[in-house]
Amino acid sequence: MARVSGRAAVAAVAGLAMLAATATPSLASSRHKAAYNPNATITLATNADPTFMQWSPTAYAESDLINMMIFSGLTKWSASATPVPDLATGWTTSKNGLTWTFQLRHGVTWQDGKPFTSADVVFTFEGLVLNPKLGAEGASNYADIASVTADGTYAVQFHLKAPWASLPAYLAYYAPIEPAHILQGVKDPWTDTQFDEQHPVGTGPFELAKYVPGQYVELTRNPHYYNGVAKVKTIVFQIIPNANTQAADLLSGDLSILSVQDAQLLAHIKTDPNVQVMTTTQNTWYMIGVNQNLPQFKNVKVRQALEYALNRPAMIKAILDGYGTVANGPIAPVQKAFYDPHVASYPYNPALAKKLLEQAGYKYNAQGQAVNAQGKQFTINMPTGQYGYLVPATELVQQYWQAIGIKVVINVEPWNNWIQQVVVKRNYQAMLAWWSTPTDPDQYPYFASSAANVGYNIPNYRNPALDKIFLAARATTNLAQRVKLYDQAQVLIAQQQPYGFLWYPEDILATQSNVHGVPNANIAIDVDQVNQWYVSP
Amino acid sequence: MTAYLVRRVGTGIVTLLLVTMITFGLMSAAPGGPAVIVSMTTTASQRAALTAEYGLNQPVPVRYVLWLEHAVTGNLGTSFDYSEPVTSVLGQRFPNTALLAFTALALSVIIGIPLGIAAARRRGSLLDALITGFSTVGLSIPDFWLGTLFIILFAVTLRWLPVSGMTTVGAPVTAGNLLEHLAMPASVLCLAVLPNIVRFTRSSMATVLDLDYIRTAHAKGLAPARVLFRHALKNALIPVVSTIGLLVPALLGGSVIVESVFAWPGMGRLAVQAATDRDYPMVMGVTIVAGVIVICTNLVVDLLYAVLDPRIQYG
Repeated sequence: MARVSGRAAVAAVAGLAMLAATATPSLASSRHKAAYNPNATITLATNADPTFMQWSPTAYAESDLINMMIFSGLTKWSASATPVPDLATGWTTSKNGLTWTFQLRHGVTWQDGKPFTSADVVFTFEGLVLNPKLGAEGASNYADIASVTADGTYAVQFHLKAPWASLPAYLAYYAPIEPAHILQGVKDPWTDTQFDEQHPVGTGPFELAKYVPGQYVELTRNPHYYNGVAKVKTIVFQIIPNANTQAADLLSGDLSILSVQDAQLLAHIKTDPNVQVMTTTQNTWYMIGVNQNLPQFKNVKVRQALEYALNRPAMIKAILDGYGTVANGPIAPVQKAFYDPHVASYPYNPALAKKLLEQAGYKYNAQGQAVNAQGKQFTINMPTGQYGYLVPATELVQQYWQAIGIKVVINVEPWNNWIQQVVVKRNYQAMLAWWSTPTDPDQYPYFASSAANVGYNIPNYRNPALDKIFLAARATTNLAQRVKLYDQAQVLIAQQQPYGFLWYPEDILATQSNVHGVPNANIAIDVDQVNQWYVSP
Repeated sequence: MTAYLVRRVGTGIVTLLLVTMITFGLMSAAPGGPAVIVSMTTTASQRAALTAEYGLNQPVPVRYVLWLEHAVTGNLGTSFDYSEPVTSVLGQRFPNTALLAFTALALSVIIGIPLGIAAARRRGSLLDALITGFSTVGLSIPDFWLGTLFIILFAVTLRWLPVSGMTTVGAPVTAGNLLEHLAMPASVLCLAVLPNIVRFTRSSMATVLDLDYIRTAHAKGLAPARVLFRHALKNALIPVVSTIGLLVPALLGGSVIVESVFAWPGMGRLAVQAATDRDYPMVMGVTIVAGVIVICTNLVVDLLYAVLDPRIQYG
């Protein structure tokens, strides 16, 4: 290769930079100085065919990331997991906390060229989310919204039934704004094949180029995106139902990014030198719920004993191959401002567990069984659903509890059946599941006394003192006050054990080494920064 | 013959009706309910709204009759999961499964019958032992395991073939590209049915080769190839043809697993998802297609008997 003089080399680099700058104007403002391929394609996997109508009850997890790219919400996640403006530019709250006014961005157009206005926001909430006839997915998250009204063309007001400081976080949580000019007047928005399957129109950084059912979804960058045009031209989601196949597709180079759902596959993926792996703690808590409608679980000593009996670090190693952190409460460490690491913890201590059971009135017989006053062994029925790793995790719990003399009867059931029995009918004694929430400390729905038997409070725990703390925290937008109140909540929850907390799993993202600009955060946050992703040439 | 056909089609329709009735009943009785209504995060009021919206608040017999009324006009309803007419989703997926299953079946016949004949001709030889052993092993290997093994070997390690899917995204759809994608799933599915064909051909051929008329044919000095193919094979094929008929349901069943492993966009994968999610209209749609295929194959097999064996007549 011929040597190039210093001056010529500088000129060549400058020329390249200019070329890149004309290709994407956002480069100059980017902190990533490296050159990138403006025509690159990034390929991801999704488990099943998506629905482009995010609010449809048939929009399961496989649709989430695709819709985040096509659509935008009023707010979105910053790289540090806090809600920041997106279609909204800012917001103010009335003194009583019941009216929130969101200023909307000017000059945003839908992907069909029509302008975005307050009418779209009003339609999304009044026409879809809050419409009781439609049963929109996630609608229960917005149950405290009484109405949404326009305040001119570029502002909307959310009128609340009760103060709710977490509104901006929930507006970033899979809450896309839908186009009123297309969907208004559609009889059933969940079966509008034209929009939901063929021609979705959003305001997001990508638009649908092609969808081949059963095979792939191809997105192309939206050249009019208001917040920095994307650095890759094409994003493809391949529809691959099997987790092993997804991993093979990554190793063969067919996938650029894979959100690894089964940590057990990671050992093999890590051997590939072309693949880099990022892990980050998810805002998801796995838990055991014991049905506190039943007298045997009303005693806090019993609940504490059940928690002491579990060797959670060992469970994390066995089930998650170590990719998880022990949880002692519902607020995950990713919420740095709110997470309290100093609450009561329950390190593995079967002897102490037995002692607590004795204090709760149980005795140990000659066979080592914990028996009640009538001499009957403490028995727990624990139905478990065939989903993810719930069955093996439940079997481990069974072993640990049997080691302190409790008989655990497991029934393995199909997932829908399990939900029907445990979540809907509350016909269970113990269960193992998880909650995944926006990165926001407001965990009230999972603990509210009013949600016992009917809502998300599956263990049916009732504690007016805890309700009061959560409600007070909802009523203030002052950060210092919220931190203080959520700290009280975490201390009380850890002591009371309304749920037996297990772990926060890690989000595992494997990417090809030429993919850059993906923040090391959970996948939803990563996708909210999709316009920053790029591929080195 | 016409009377026979009319009778057979008539029983076919009655069978299909019974199949739909039983499937509808079992599906509705299965606990849990549709995923579209029952999830961790749906509340009681959402469930009520959705139950009404999907018409599931009516008793099962009423729903079945409503479904049947629509079905006879060709309207199989709207899928819960896809929010699209069931017929249009099936229309997209069925040809893909047909391509996969037909390729696998054709491969099995082309490879299986000669192997069976070879084994039958040299019973007790090393070749026979190899072929029989191979088919026993083939019968016992689970599809999903073999599929994963193929992927690791041919796609990840050797990189000869694509891991999954039916076409390469962004590339023009060509026959070569399709064949590359078809190679692994069709081979795995083929290995699931091939041993049956080998074993049936072998035993049927072995029986025929021992019959007197074969010895006579040899005795009158016919060329061995002529004896084998004209005299023996034609008669030996009758049970093999019926086996192929029986293998069609097995192929459809095998496609359920193979399609999931190789992300092949077919009806088998659709069936799994529909059953897991309790997508009632889709479960019924898949049932009808599978039912029609099985009933038609049986009819075709019976008619083929008459062609192969003039002693069999339908009247």
